[in-house]
Amino acid sequence: MATKYLTKIGYRIIARNVSCRHGEIDIIASDGDEIVFVEVRTRSKGWMMPPECTVGPEKMKKLKRAARIWTEKRNYTGFWRIDLIAVTLDDDELSSIEHIKEITEGIE
Amino acid sequence: MNSVSGMTLKGVKAVAVEVEVEITGGLFNISVVGLPDAAVREARERVRAALRSVGITLRGRVAINLAPADIPKEGALLDLAIAVGIASVQGGVRVKKPSLFIGELALDGRLRKVRGAVPAAFLAVEKGWDLYIPEENAAEVSLVEGVSAWKVRSLGELFAHLRNEIELPAVEHCEADYAPPQADPDFADIKGQSVAKRALEIAAAGHHNILLVGSPGSGKTLLARALKGILPPLSDKELMEVLLLRSTVGDSASSVRERPFRSVHHTASAVALCGGGTTLRPGEISLASRGVLFLDEFPEFTRDVLEALRQPLEDGQITVSRASGSVVYPAKVLMVAACNPCPCGYSGDPVERCTCSPSALERYRRRLSGPILDRIDLHLSIPRLLPEELVSLEGKCGESSAEVAERVRRAREIQTKRWSRYGIGSNSEIPEKLLRRNITLSPEVKGFLLQALNRVRLSGRGLSRILKVSRTIADLDAAEDIRLEHIAEALSYREGEALSWMKS
Ligand SMILES: [Zn+2]
Repeated sequence: MATKYLTKIGYRIIARNVSCRHGEIDIIASDGDEIVFVEVRTRSKGWMMPPECTVGPEKMKKLKRAARIWTEKRNYTGFWRIDLIAVTLDDDELSSIEHIKEITEGIE
Repeated sequence: MNSVSGMTLKGVKAVAVEVEVEITGGLFNISVVGLPDAAVREARERVRAALRSVGITLRGRVAINLAPADIPKEGALLDLAIAVGIASVQGGVRVKKPSLFIGELALDGRLRKVRGAVPAAFLAVEKGWDLYIPEENAAEVSLVEGVSAWKVRSLGELFAHLRNEIELPAVEHCEADYAPPQADPDFADIKGQSVAKRALEIAAAGHHNILLVGSPGSGKTLLARALKGILPPLSDKELMEVLLLRSTVGDSASSVRERPFRSVHHTASAVALCGGGTTLRPGEISLASRGVLFLDEFPEFTRDVLEALRQPLEDGQITVSRASGSVVYPAKVLMVAACNPCPCGYSGDPVERCTCSPSALERYRRRLSGPILDRIDLHLSIPRLLPEELVSLEGKCGESSAEVAERVRRAREIQTKRWSRYGIGSNSEIPEKLLRRNITLSPEVKGFLLQALNRVRLSGRGLSRILKVSRTIADLDAAEDIRLEHIAEALSYREGEALSWMKS
């Protein structure tokens, strides 16, 4: 569902479910000249917590590390970012998709 | 050389801060190099949001370098320069001429007023740079001659201007008013008080600090305010100094040559009065520079605060130190101190009775004495006018401030002529050595003075003050020599004379 959505908004899917020893990346796609690492969260309706709160600092660190290793392995020096896609299900039916761009802080 | 600069303040001077931006690939991240304070960290968030508002999304590693690195910087002042620096690397904005950008950014890209626009204008003139300022700072900048400045309302407008899509409005130069400012209150509006008005005239003429002693309701504050109205209008140079200081604290400018008047409450801290603080600002004594500093309820000020006032009153400037170095602010004030004659306020009053105990009076006297009194040449008792006196005075209020100001101006001219070769401007500044050498008294006048000295006890300093004030009174008379009546009048303003119960 998330890949379908990304394709629809013009992203090109590069890979899915890429795992390395630092964890898994759900989707890797390109948004123009930028590579986007996408974390997908699925939840059922009625869940009140905003989706970006479901990614804790530990998980964040892992995502960043995995993404960095992926870019380094390919000698990629361009721009990249980490997005979150929250899929909400209602009785296994898709109810909504939320896309939060750039969930990293970026401020040191 | 980079063409994008911001600035930070060192005292009343603007120091150029060069903004260099480098953007490389990777995960989004902003780093600022160059000893930024906490505010620069906040600036990054404002800059990022403001850039987003004009459609520039930051990505990759954004490295901002602020040079020179070793001076402390104030974040909000640098917002605009940082935003332009980034946009010139990643936003299709080109800065062709070396330019100075100042302004604080709101999250929606609008530009907010900053302090220090006048110092920035002087810096831009000195370097021959273009200057971009928030629209709200335009009035003060317009008074600076020779500046080539543009009014900016928002980041979007500025970028459109830099891309040659629109033309921003330029700041038109505005001449300072030539007309003398309106006195407020005017001497003619103050009933009675002829002795006080005369003493204020002497204070204004010779730049003598003055102490007003009077019951509550005797009009001390009104008289203090009236003093600025009989001082000559600010000269071009003085006006620029006043403008610089006001701009440094973010006060709006005025093209009127009115002298500053700052009233300070006794609860004010030494920092509020003398300057300093984490963001290093000038204090009240500097904001009153070239004008009048009014300290009401003078004995209530703490020793620390009064002690801190001593040096600036002597030097006409104040040095404020902090870890990163010290700055000097102008502090050339005419001080008016005011107090009640006693703790209850009614000693010597024609109607009310003083209810103070002898020990309370003694404590009050001790608080009133002290080193700062050395800087006060004129002591004056202000009588409270009774209602019937006020009525009988109806319609006769005496001269206007303009008439008195003219005598003050002439007396100041005489002093300038006499003292300029010694590097002093007024009789109050005459050093002890010069006083002895340059003020000669006829045998008759000397005899009178000696006689008077036998009657009243006077310290060496007290005698010097009498001589300085006598000189000013003689100058108001345009008299070459100090005459007997000049000395006699000066004696009536001496320390202790104003507090009747102190003499015993
Ligand atoms: Zn009393």
